[in-house]
Amino acid sequence: MTALLELKNLGVTYRTGGGEVAAVRGVDLRLEAGGTLGVAGESGSGKSTVAMSVLRLLPRSASVTGEILLDGEDVATMRWGRLRAVRWAEASVVFQGAMHALNPVRRIGEQIAEPLRLHPPETGALSETQVQARVAELLDQVDLPRSRAGAYPHELSGGQKQRVMIAMALACSPRLVIADEPTTALDVIVQAQVLALLSKLVAEQDIGLVMISHDLSVLAATCDRIAVMYDGQVVEERGSAELMADPHHEHSRALAAAFPTVGDPASRFAPATSTPLPPEPDHRAGPGDTPLLEAENLHVSFRDRAGKRIHAVNGVDLAVRRDEIVALVGQSGSGKTTLARTLLGLQKADSGAIRHDGKPIPAGGAALRAYRRKVQLVLQDPTSALNPAHTVYEAVAEGPRIHGLPAERDTVLNALEAAELRPPERFLDRLPHELSGGQRQRVVIAGALALEPAVLVADEPVASLDASVRGEILALLLRLRRELGLAGLVITHDLGLAWNIADRVAVMYRGELVETGTVEQVLLDPQHEYTRSLLAALPGGTAQRATTGS
Amino acid sequence: MTQSLTSDQAAVLVDPDENRGGTGTARFVGTKIAEALASILLVIVLGFLLFRLLPGDPVAFMVRERPTDPAQIAELRDRLGIDKPLLTQFWDYFTGLFRGDFGTSYIERRPVLDMIGERLWPTVLLVGSATVLAVALGLWLGIRAAWKRDSFFDRAQTGIALTLWSVPQFWLGLLLLVVTGGLFPSRGMHSPDAGPGFFAQGLDVLHHLVLPCVTLLAVFYAQYMLVMRSSLLGEMNADYLTTARAKGLRDDLVRRRHAVPNALLPTVTLVFMQFGMVVSGAVTVEAVFSWPGLGQLTYDALHGPDLPVLQGVFVVLASAVVLMNLLAELLYRVLDPRVRTA
Amino acid sequence: MTAPAAAASETPRAIAWRRRRAGIARTWHEFAAQKAALTGFVLLVLTVLLALLLPVISDSDGLDVTKATGHPLSPPDGQFWLGTDIDGRSVLLLTLWGTRISLLVGFAATVLSVLIGTVIGIAAAHFGGWISTILLRFTDFFLVLPSLVLAIALSAVLPQGIWTIVLAIGVTAWPSTARLVRAQTLTIESRPYIERSRALGGGHLHVVGKHVLPGVAPLVLANTTLVVGNSIIADATLSFLGVGDPSSISWGAMLETALNNGAVSRGAWWNLLPPGIAIVLVVLFFTLVGRGLETVLNPRLKGQHS
Repeated sequence: MTALLELKNLGVTYRTGGGEVAAVRGVDLRLEAGGTLGVAGESGSGKSTVAMSVLRLLPRSASVTGEILLDGEDVATMRWGRLRAVRWAEASVVFQGAMHALNPVRRIGEQIAEPLRLHPPETGALSETQVQARVAELLDQVDLPRSRAGAYPHELSGGQKQRVMIAMALACSPRLVIADEPTTALDVIVQAQVLALLSKLVAEQDIGLVMISHDLSVLAATCDRIAVMYDGQVVEERGSAELMADPHHEHSRALAAAFPTVGDPASRFAPATSTPLPPEPDHRAGPGDTPLLEAENLHVSFRDRAGKRIHAVNGVDLAVRRDEIVALVGQSGSGKTTLARTLLGLQKADSGAIRHDGKPIPAGGAALRAYRRKVQLVLQDPTSALNPAHTVYEAVAEGPRIHGLPAERDTVLNALEAAELRPPERFLDRLPHELSGGQRQRVVIAGALALEPAVLVADEPVASLDASVRGEILALLLRLRRELGLAGLVITHDLGLAWNIADRVAVMYRGELVETGTVEQVLLDPQHEYTRSLLAALPGGTAQRATTGS
Repeated sequence: MTQSLTSDQAAVLVDPDENRGGTGTARFVGTKIAEALASILLVIVLGFLLFRLLPGDPVAFMVRERPTDPAQIAELRDRLGIDKPLLTQFWDYFTGLFRGDFGTSYIERRPVLDMIGERLWPTVLLVGSATVLAVALGLWLGIRAAWKRDSFFDRAQTGIALTLWSVPQFWLGLLLLVVTGGLFPSRGMHSPDAGPGFFAQGLDVLHHLVLPCVTLLAVFYAQYMLVMRSSLLGEMNADYLTTARAKGLRDDLVRRRHAVPNALLPTVTLVFMQFGMVVSGAVTVEAVFSWPGLGQLTYDALHGPDLPVLQGVFVVLASAVVLMNLLAELLYRVLDPRVRTA
Repeated sequence: MTAPAAAASETPRAIAWRRRRAGIARTWHEFAAQKAALTGFVLLVLTVLLALLLPVISDSDGLDVTKATGHPLSPPDGQFWLGTDIDGRSVLLLTLWGTRISLLVGFAATVLSVLIGTVIGIAAAHFGGWISTILLRFTDFFLVLPSLVLAIALSAVLPQGIWTIVLAIGVTAWPSTARLVRAQTLTIESRPYIERSRALGGGHLHVVGKHVLPGVAPLVLANTTLVVGNSIIADATLSFLGVGDPSSISWGAMLETALNNGAVSRGAWWNLLPPGIAIVLVVLFFTLVGRGLETVLNPRLKGQHS
């Protein structure tokens, strides 16, 4: 029997200004009708190129070698007319970031209906009523109210847009759906819903699914088989459960370790790093000590563009002590970033108190500046957190210069050393674009360390980094805490991160802290139903549930 | 549980949009109209300051290089109310505007409003026809150039547009006059020997309109074309076009249904926003061809100098531009659903 | 590039400057790779050199009506390559000397308008709240005003002369620069490195001086070259309308003379073509250079223009 999709020795090369770049080399993949296949890899591994080549959607600068057999027919040599007929009717795509993949000025109903009109079934073209009926049916299938057909994309939430993309992909009852990072940029709970929906629909309608993701646990939850790509090649391809249990290739192992299973003792205080961690210090500050940073009954609100008052932070009590890392967990929009900005004095609070070392933080002037020296910020995306025109030296020296610290050069070298950029001299004259993502984040951390702060506030510090770098940066934060006693407040949507390095967890939901406690208490024995739903949405599940469940 | 938590969160995200529907539009239109009125008030203040304050003593300015007896000066001072406090002067001027009193021409000794009224329609005809043609031509060429990017057509059209964009309009007018050498009338809007009847008169006006209109059109179409081209090129990398191609749409449908409508939005806004520039262009072109519109009036008043007329024309032209802008903002809201609800 | 070992012994300032020089060299290479832009640049440099050297290589006596040697409106011949004007002066000489005034007015007006535009643009974006709202309304108001009409009004009531023209163009041409600078400032200020800079303790002066100004400077530069072209056209137009300095030699004034003294109606095309072509060429050079710079320096246009 012919396979639904078969890639034979696929190679894709891009012509760029600097010559030819091979994005995909010698890839062989096979998917039977109704089967599900995951393709995993970091950015630049060539996984999206593989996905786009199936419908020949690559940019003109790409040249393809090898065979792409869709139901036995080679896509690479199809005539345009045939290709257009195959597109969407035989195989459709759920694109990454539905935000941009939907036309912003057309109603979603029209966009779903477009392929229906374009690819009429063999029984003849559909009447307008039939098209509308099919659109309504598709919206039902993806659990969207039929009335939303008249909405424009910007009126929908991220999860709703992704549902529209799924409805659109199913419109012509294709035999194959290619999902390219379908849940990236979605919140955990929404991600779980979208994944569940997609899996259910392809299973019900016996559609083959190729899913592309950087997150192995997402693929393991949806696909029978997983292929791991690295540097344009497939380095490992096996059944999901097998691969997750015992990854062979070192790159598969790195990908797997990046998303630790919550509750697994092996990954507690053990982020994936190649350098060993120092032991716990003998003496640690305890609950009796004065917190370094403390918020009491904090309220922050601001007006949105329509002038409506949004209560972003609503009566929060939170303390961070020396020698501990506190993870602040919540979905986007939960107010966690606003809380962090307020703690740093970047946002004004309506009421409540913020204390540093027992003293209220100053409102402005030189005193606020002195306070900011003590509490430093590390941002999510190191690429945009560094001025692209400033060298590493200038970026790290910016803080010491503002505060007029002496011996600038030594401070910078020490900070780079502490952030594990070794030897520091080699990095001084680099510009951000010459560094890897992990190195950039280290520069940002070094810039904070140069001021010898007492607390580091890190806002999603690894969310935009590749899996293999993630563990190293987390290990650095943990090492700084153990060696220097540097307190950390890590804001994240990722419970695995909390399990990896945090001592305590605070769960934020709609501006309020719904649950606070040690990592073990909160993640293994959640009290609030929101915490429970967060844990339930983890694609890999939790170790505890896995053991008690079986 | 999971489901309910987030679906009501989604409801929170969606609801504000739906609730604001009707009242939001009314508020938006109201705000925009109020802003336009404020702008027109600012135009009036600016006109007043420019022509009453900057020249020092406007009367001395008006009568310079002209034999004037003291009685005339005294009469002028009295009429302009120069000796009253500034605020009183402004108030008199401001309330005068509402009674249709734009002052009296110093040279023709007629109400400024009458003079403007006579000259308004020729300008509307010239500017209107040139804008419509320039927009049509510019958009069409811009779309074709962007779609066939880097082709000979694209390079040639972009080159021509860039060159025309560097041409001073009045010079192009003069050049056309010399080149066409009497094929088209060079002055005014009517010939004395045109036959009677509506049709003959209309044809005569059209005949006169050709050169000024082409001159005005030539420079503005170039800008519309360049903007349309770069706007479409910007859309061309958009992800939703990949979606459209993946759906199996033919290239020309991808362009017509998806790329062009999106790229059109900034261009259409620009057409309205740049209306002030078209008006500026009309002033010089009218001066070259003696087209009896507001531009010609400005040119003559400038050489008077006839300050009340200049002031009146300034207020009328600037207010017209403000109103066109108001129209642009309202139109944009109709065209772009994102603005409608955001 | 220097080896890492050398970097270790360099002072930070030297490192920064070396990197900056490398950056400028890279920008130049990208710019020079665009044929049209490079051609425009070379021709522009030649034009400026010519304007500067004119007093040395030509005799300004020929500009004086009383010392004119030719017959009125004689067509081009061996002695007067581009013929003579109504006063018997050489059109070639007049056109060449017109370069000086046009460039002077173009540059001066541009400096004025770019200065106003940059300050207002940055202020409107950096300080949010009511300051921003007022500045923005103000900018939009001037943006839509018919600038030529405003410039005419200004030059009508101020004393005649080239500085009046400079002022009239300068104070009417700034809004588009302000808009552009504001947009770019907003883009830069939305970047997390501004937030990081604030968290490090940086104040307004630090953020604007270290991050915003260097960030908008390239765009302002590209914009400036485009504004010079517009200013030259505006100058010619104002001179043509008769509000310029009657005693100075400028292309606009030459064309005004040609129209009003009957040179055009008598078919003396040699009075019409040279100054007009000169304007078109110089403006085109500026436009080519400006678009070339924009392609290299405006991140949003990268890889977009051909």
